[in-house]
Amino acid sequence: MSAPLLALRGVRKAFGRRLLFEIERLAIEAGGAYVLVGPNGSGKTTLMRILAGLDRDAGGVMSVHDQDMSFGSYPEHLRRSIVYVHQHPYLFHTSLRHNLEYGLKCRGVPAAERARRVEEAIAWAGLAAQRATPPGKLSGGEKQRAALARARALEPELLLLDEPTSNLDRDGRAQTLALLAQLRDERRTVIVACHDQEIINLDGFARLRLEEGRIALQSG
Amino acid sequence: MDLLEPTSQAFRLLFSGDPELWRIIWLSLWVSLAAIALVAAPSIALGFLLAKKRFPGQRAAVVLVQALLSFPTVVIGLVIYLLLSRRGPLGSFELLFTPWAIMIGYMMIAFPILVVFTISAVQGADPRVYETARCLGADRLRASLTTLFEVRFGILAAVVNGFGRAISEVGCAIMVGGNIAGLTRNIPTAIALETTKGDFAQGIALGFVLMVVALGVNVLLALLQGQGGLK
Repeated sequence: MSAPLLALRGVRKAFGRRLLFEIERLAIEAGGAYVLVGPNGSGKTTLMRILAGLDRDAGGVMSVHDQDMSFGSYPEHLRRSIVYVHQHPYLFHTSLRHNLEYGLKCRGVPAAERARRVEEAIAWAGLAAQRATPPGKLSGGEKQRAALARARALEPELLLLDEPTSNLDRDGRAQTLALLAQLRDERRTVIVACHDQEIINLDGFARLRLEEGRIALQSG
Repeated sequence: MDLLEPTSQAFRLLFSGDPELWRIIWLSLWVSLAAIALVAAPSIALGFLLAKKRFPGQRAAVVLVQALLSFPTVVIGLVIYLLLSRRGPLGSFELLFTPWAIMIGYMMIAFPILVVFTISAVQGADPRVYETARCLGADRLRASLTTLFEVRFGILAAVVNGFGRAISEVGCAIMVGGNIAGLTRNIPTAIALETTKGDFAQGIALGFVLMVVALGVNVLLALLQGQGGLK
């Protein structure tokens, strides 16, 4: 049996004396789709940020492909293989195209390949009509789709999506849900932190429940 | 006092291409622009670091730079004078009473403005900017430059204000430049001199140029901000 993409052992996060969670063991399999659920304040966003390397202040061991890593000081290749999308994603105040190719430029992807992947991302997210719209003027749902497309275009090993449907209207939610289902069908490894029952009930998403400081894999 | 005659004389001087007048204008412009060009990058970088990094003494460093904002420019002129004077530590460079001395003064005057404006712009930036850039794979330098680009209008305002302060400065320029005709006489020092001599025409002409420059750079900034589509 191959090693999981990502494994956590004894990962512990506390704020002062208050223990937020302690994860004895958790394995994320490559190609798996997961929803991370739990009550408000259970630490879903904190866990996502720890996995993304944005929160260095955690104890325990995380390994990727069986290689132990220290939190927040990932080697460059690992940092670029995990992409985190904020609950309210930020789009740079430039253009949609610049946003979509930003990470590709960071990875040194040649211009022709960048152009191809940007066009593919625009088509994937259904944003062709918004191509010339300044990012600041996109609707909440369009911003979310642009952020998902921007992350997906980087073909990361692990996608971390924090509450991707929060504050979206009905149409925005429906479109985002469709994109999440596509990510699952494309066998992308994705963890979605959410409260949204429709995401939680999506077929093919394993459920990770974080509650009272413990995490449990509930269903596959 | 009759203002009409010296004002019309001022415009005649300006539009007749009076060489002495235009030499003064040109000196003011190039010395101010060169000073800003030289001091902008290090000041903006320092402002970014002071806004983003936590280190011992950071607060004290911010307070010190803020205090420099209210430093009298004649004191800055005095310090540069002492440094550049023949017996000063930098006397061997023989920069005193040259445009280079004025440029150094302008750099010191613009420095705290650029740093403080940058701190304010970067601290006002959305904290997700830097994180998003990092999450998308940017290294620290690229993420920092992206953050600065996102607050580009705040940074442009810093540069415009630094330039405005430099080109209109008089105390330091007189002390270290000496107001030498044809060499270090610039717009504000010339206005001061001509006014004391009672030659209001040249003072009015130069004052008009200063106001046009100030208005011009601010209109340019407003136009750029408008094109940016930012709130």
